[in-house]
Amino acid sequence: MHIKGRAWTFGQANINTDLIFPKPFFKPSYEPGEMARHSMAGLSEDFASKAKPGDVIVAGPNFGCGSSREEAAGSLKELGIAALLAPSFSRLFTRNSINFGLPSIALPGIDQHVSEGDEIELDLTQGRLWNRTNGYEADLPPMAPETLRLIDDGGIRAYTQRILRERREAAQSSAS
Amino acid sequence: MHAISKIIARHSGRESVQTGEIVNVTPDYVMLNDRGAARARTLMAQMGAERVWDPERIVVVFDHHYPAIRLQDAEAQKKTREWAAEQGITKFHAGEGIGHVLFPEKGYATPGSLIFGTDSHTVTNGAVGCVSTGLGHSDIASCISLGYNWLRVPEVVRFDLQGELKPWVSAKDVILRITQQFGEDATVYQAVEFAGSAVRAMPMDERLVLTNMVIDFGGKTGYVQPDETTFEFLKGRSNPDRWIIDETDSDDDYARIIEVDVSTIEPLVALPHDLSKVINASDGGEYRIDEAIFGTCTGGRIEDFRIAAKVMKGRKLAPHTRMIVNPGSVSVYRQAVQEGLIDTLVEGGAVIGVPGCGPCAGFHQGMMAAGDNGITTASRNFRGRMGSPDSDLFVASPATTVASAIAGRIVSPSQLVDAEEFA
Repeated sequence: MHIKGRAWTFGQANINTDLIFPKPFFKPSYEPGEMARHSMAGLSEDFASKAKPGDVIVAGPNFGCGSSREEAAGSLKELGIAALLAPSFSRLFTRNSINFGLPSIALPGIDQHVSEGDEIELDLTQGRLWNRTNGYEADLPPMAPETLRLIDDGGIRAYTQRILRERREAAQSSAS
Repeated sequence: MHAISKIIARHSGRESVQTGEIVNVTPDYVMLNDRGAARARTLMAQMGAERVWDPERIVVVFDHHYPAIRLQDAEAQKKTREWAAEQGITKFHAGEGIGHVLFPEKGYATPGSLIFGTDSHTVTNGAVGCVSTGLGHSDIASCISLGYNWLRVPEVVRFDLQGELKPWVSAKDVILRITQQFGEDATVYQAVEFAGSAVRAMPMDERLVLTNMVIDFGGKTGYVQPDETTFEFLKGRSNPDRWIIDETDSDDDYARIIEVDVSTIEPLVALPHDLSKVINASDGGEYRIDEAIFGTCTGGRIEDFRIAAKVMKGRKLAPHTRMIVNPGSVSVYRQAVQEGLIDTLVEGGAVIGVPGCGPCAGFHQGMMAAGDNGITTASRNFRGRMGSPDSDLFVASPATTVASAIAGRIVSPSQLVDAEEFA
């Protein structure tokens, strides 16, 4: 999996999901594109309108801490953000992002090596990162095969659809 | 293996698991709160699942937006009621309290069990010796469709809490000492066990505060090894045949063991908007308090009401301060009425709301205006969590919250009430 995009930096530590997707925007269901419009609303007024598909986010430690709301990761995926990089991520946030098929990659010190607007390239299969603007390079920590597979599947929705389909097919063939 | 690994292994149908391994597990219970149920049933339909895998194992709790605040919530709740009836889900609690208070209280959380829930504070249940953690809505929708979901077997960090707590010092203060000392990311992706003499001496209501707040320094699940206090609490709430007590094999099963001397801890307060910015409550006099928010899943249990009434008895709120109280559950509410605790709080000037999340859900029953300072028994002081992004929220224990509401500024309970009244 190959990713190349412009970096947005959110360098402060412990950015919580209340800031990434504030509660006043919660709804029981969302129209397509609706979550994306409120992405990072507690941190930046214009990020959601300026971010472009393929961009990447480089954040500070413990990004996405706090509440379990998947809109935090979902809104970034819907905006077209291609990858998230930070020294560490909260468990719930990183899990939600994987479930949306959005890679969140924990890389110590990464927030010190990327500035806003830098051109970032990632190869998830090879496990390598390049900052094409300042020449910084790093190996990515290996991802669990299960995680890569879920991202490849397109996230947990596609995975669940596939398993349910396989179960139905198995039930049909045993009935016939 | 750690007891947590053994619980995960059992729920994945395996003899053993390795730390760091990813396994599929089938939970004993899945908690859906009002928002989680609305999202999960919609997402489940989009995933192509018609029936939940096991209606007996699903518990629906309306606690965040109940009674309905907006028309859209009313409509979502109506649909969820219909969906639950269609699916045969009978474990349904609307307005009965907060999921994290109800789960131990109603006997859903039992030693050795595995629980998922649509809320980060689902980690609370670990106080009874189970594995319990939050999942996102798509994650939960997949789980109730398929009957399993993946878990990474976590490393475990143990906090040994030694010594005796001073008067007015509670589990909340212990947690604030931990966030102060180790930061909001102290245990990212690790499970957190609490042990030591101070934990053994704590009633279940206090242990539940410890495990609840592991999420607020990164923990994946909290855990307390079951003991007599656990069994005494659980008696009559669940069938003992369901309790499975797992033991941790050795100290080698911990990534880290941290000793904390709790005897030196004073009543503490976390400053806005960061749980690691902590001061002694007695040094907080410069902060005016406009609103006290009492209740939530770290301050709405019966022990909290008993402490609150001790502080409030014979006193009144400061003229410029309001206090909103939401009992953690209906049974806490009724017990507090029976013991006269609600009367004491109302006489002191507090307003009593619906058992449930209250303002901590971020929508209703006491939102703060720009420029307001609030103090709360809740677990989080995130910017804008309980109202305007330009309001300031301080997190403290139940005793400190009530004392500060009476003083109209942040004080330590011992500045207001004699230590004799504590006992």
